[in-house]
Amino acid sequence: MLTQALLLGLIAGIGILDGRIFGVLMLERPLVLGALVGLVLGDFKTGIIIGAQLELIWMGIAGIGSSTPPDVVTGGVLGTAFAILSGKGPEVALALAVPIAVLAQSLGVLVRVINTYFIHKADKYAKKADFKKVTLMMWIPVVLFFLSVFVPTFLAILLGADKVTTLINAVPKVILDGLTIAGNLLPAIGFALLMDMLFSKKMSVFFFIGFLAASYLKIDVMAIALMGVCIAIILNFFVNNEGNQLSKKGNDADSLTEGEINFE
Amino acid sequence: MSEEKKLRKKDLRSILWRSFALQGAFNYERMQNLGFCYTMIPAIKRLYDKEEEQSLALKRHLEIFNTTPVAVPTIAGISAAMEEQNANHQDFDTSSINAVKTALMGPLAGIGDSLFWGTLRIIAAGIGISFATQGNLIGPLLFLLLYNVPNLLVRIYGLKFGYSVGVNSLERIQKEGLMDKIMSIATTVGLVVVGAMVATMLKVSTPLKFNVNGAKVVIQDILNQILPNLLPLVLTLVIFWMIRKKFSISKLTIAIIFFGIIVHWAGIL
Repeated sequence: MLTQALLLGLIAGIGILDGRIFGVLMLERPLVLGALVGLVLGDFKTGIIIGAQLELIWMGIAGIGSSTPPDVVTGGVLGTAFAILSGKGPEVALALAVPIAVLAQSLGVLVRVINTYFIHKADKYAKKADFKKVTLMMWIPVVLFFLSVFVPTFLAILLGADKVTTLINAVPKVILDGLTIAGNLLPAIGFALLMDMLFSKKMSVFFFIGFLAASYLKIDVMAIALMGVCIAIILNFFVNNEGNQLSKKGNDADSLTEGEINFE
Repeated sequence: MSEEKKLRKKDLRSILWRSFALQGAFNYERMQNLGFCYTMIPAIKRLYDKEEEQSLALKRHLEIFNTTPVAVPTIAGISAAMEEQNANHQDFDTSSINAVKTALMGPLAGIGDSLFWGTLRIIAAGIGISFATQGNLIGPLLFLLLYNVPNLLVRIYGLKFGYSVGVNSLERIQKEGLMDKIMSIATTVGLVVVGAMVATMLKVSTPLKFNVNGAKVVIQDILNQILPNLLPLVLTLVIFWMIRKKFSISKLTIAIIFFGIIVHWAGIL
């Protein structure tokens, strides 16, 4: 268990650093972390499936602007891990992942507050043109970010795995099945958040084109995306009229200002 | 004046690598400032010899900075070109460097967030998830590939472009309306994909059945005749409406978990 706890902590650490120093390569997303957790715990396939389920739920959650969204890294890694360790399905993963993500968020906030101290230090070193010290002030917060997910994940797996598994096994079946239903409903939040970002009255027709194509014609997502590209190019480059500056008019009103979405 | 100061290829490569670490010291006071300063260090070191000049440049880039990460190489390229001019011309208006940075970070954040977060990520995730739900490793891999190829290309060429063409380049693109077209295409495709995902990835159906004079009435069959995937559509639109009404996301999430358990217990879903 010690090795597994260490490795899972490391996975969470890589996940959190993705948005910090790896330029947001999407390693932080549950779709990727779930597969890695599965690999460590010897159930690759389940890890990927749970990752996909959590990705659906959290797809709309994004760290845009200065806000701190729920910590999908700690939540995703621990949720997936406990689901695999207890031998239950994705419903357990989401029941645990959602609250853990909200709790873990506060640690992320704490680090961002503490970092202000290092920023002021960096100001001082900048006055003396001390490049090395300025660089150091940049890397200490990176270590803090890493620890803010590594420590909770490591401890939760090492100390909590048995207890959580016992707890999960004590939950009645009707509740677990209900959680499965809830898990099927939750992606709607993710989709709604995406729509909040993209949707304007003028553009709404494209949402329905996608929906109807999938509902009636049973075309898969990949094919619909490619056809969407074709439709969009036709509309923007071949149909020439003023009214086609859709995004300009449409997005000004709905532009992505983080303050508008209330994560609390 | 001595010989002209010029950045080398090596410096630009170093700026590119450092730009990945943008949010390493993210803080609430000045956000990505230290990360951006860290990105600019190779240029500052190359262009300024005197401690005083170096110090001024470091402080300049420790001012508040916040934008979408993928746009940072472009902004860093433009800033580097301006620092280069500043190092070579006594009469260069130093304050214009930060003025340009500030002017760029807002619009570029908007464009980058909608293109990369709002659209590309969704399309990549949608396709990835459709494989991953069957436990197929192609899912996560395709997701990473579809997102990161454009991500890395925009970073690499953004830096080159920003540095070589400088401040005027972005204005030119803006005037030609190319950016508007790209944004419009992205939003269109994004919405089409979200619509398709609502239909294919939301599994909501009701087991409700009634007996009317011995004839079995299956509610889900009736719903399917009206519109397949009607329940997922209604659910998404209701939550969308609630988000527009500023309901909190965390509370919505918890509410849905309880809602799911209760309606299942009641036999509705």
